[in-house]
Amino acid sequence: MNKIVINGEDIKIENSDGIEVSVGEASKFLNVQSVKIKVLKDTDIVIWASEVDIKLDFYINVISGVKANIYEYKSKGDYKFQYKYYLEENSYLNIEKVNDGNNIKEMNLINLNGENAVVNFNLKTICKDIEKYNFLVYHNAKNTVSNILNNGVNILDGKLEFNVSGFVSNGITGCDINQKARIINMTENICVIKPNLFIDEEDVTANHSAHIGTFAYDDVFYLMSRGISKREALNLLIKGFLLKGVTYYRDVLEEVINKYWR
Amino acid sequence: MNSLKIENLTVEVSGKIILKDFNLEIKSGEIHAIMGPNGTGKSTLTKVIMGDTNYKIIKGKIIYNGKVINKMPVNERAKIGIFLGMQMPVAVEGVSNADFLRSALRAKEGDNFKLLSFIREVEDLTKKLHMDKNMIHRGINDGFSGGERKKNEILQMNILKPNIVLLDEIDSGLDVDSLKLVGESVMDYYNDKKPAILLVTHYQRLLDYIKPDFIHIMKDGHIVLSGDKSLALKIEKEGYDKIIGDIHE
Repeated sequence: MNKIVINGEDIKIENSDGIEVSVGEASKFLNVQSVKIKVLKDTDIVIWASEVDIKLDFYINVISGVKANIYEYKSKGDYKFQYKYYLEENSYLNIEKVNDGNNIKEMNLINLNGENAVVNFNLKTICKDIEKYNFLVYHNAKNTVSNILNNGVNILDGKLEFNVSGFVSNGITGCDINQKARIINMTENICVIKPNLFIDEEDVTANHSAHIGTFAYDDVFYLMSRGISKREALNLLIKGFLLKGVTYYRDVLEEVINKYWR
Repeated sequence: MNSLKIENLTVEVSGKIILKDFNLEIKSGEIHAIMGPNGTGKSTLTKVIMGDTNYKIIKGKIIYNGKVINKMPVNERAKIGIFLGMQMPVAVEGVSNADFLRSALRAKEGDNFKLLSFIREVEDLTKKLHMDKNMIHRGINDGFSGGERKKNEILQMNILKPNIVLLDEIDSGLDVDSLKLVGESVMDYYNDKKPAILLVTHYQRLLDYIKPDFIHIMKDGHIVLSGDKSLALKIEKEGYDKIIGDIHE
């Protein structure tokens, strides 16, 4: 399995099988580092980031017909990361992210450049300070699919924001765009979700949903009606909300959840 | 001997009175069935007993074993042995049935909780209720059909072993075979533990399997007629309008 470890200012490539990776400077003036990854065959890439204090740009290119999974975990540190994804024809990219950083600002630029390219994005974050996630998803080719799922629990001094924009130009037919964002806000702070769909084509399937709030009364009532305390019911619901759909970093996320909601 | 007594209970929701001076007492070993037209307050009754705060008690008392529990939180009511099998159990994504039931049992049994016996009991019950044995690892009612949800309610009842069982339209959404399974499972539990059972139903067919000692007909938020099982057969034959109309004449 390919692994990229980012610790403080150090970036280490621990294994690279089926990918080409290069590490360099994106901008000397702005002190931005870069990691360029070209995925050449079906593979998994694990990214582990901890106590990071650099700005970092990722360039990830999945070539034609290749399937890739990216599993990423961030802890501690202040993150200013930018990701640029380029998907070629018939490629498939599945991204699972678990974030437990301090301050996080992310820009995700997804370019679906080849026909039938598919991207699945699944983010789970526990926001304790300021986190802002921007997504620009460009369907540049026909029959491309994007599923962008953002889930966050906002606690302590958290202010969480998801901005997701999907774009389809005229003539790019058969695309499927899905955006789903939910923030469980356990504070009085303001959280924001901006779901945008910029579509200039009729032959498109598009869905978006946005939800900010706590858990449904009926769900809490149901759990409590079996003897579970309100606090434990909320813990169970948070655990379920965050763990749903997480595979590679599931154990890590369980530890994180236990840290905050034991 | 456990008892649940409802005294002159009047309940409103969103400013509308749903239950009016409702009275009923159920005791261990008794099975009561509440029937009645739609919108007469049958489901409200079960939810108020369970402690749903969407329903406001205007007056009256809910008394469990001599103690007024009007202000007792829902989880405490469950811990003293009240169980509500719901008409439309919610689906909770991400929270597995296993985590849910373990938490519920731990809340009830504390340090006496035994994981191995819990696993064995769940295995036996899923087999008995013809449920997918892997359901325990799925989200609560997540992707379950209406019938599977009702079976899950009965499974939970068997695991939690309540002494007051409220079953709100447990027969809706069940096919003929599942209805028989659920009905027989409720009766097995009844024969084993002798709880007090209060079931809400629209149809006599459930009563082919769960044999009630008392049938009550509700209208406008209170009981207008009580009788034995023959009353259910009369309702099936003549309908509510005729029977309730006869009372008023």
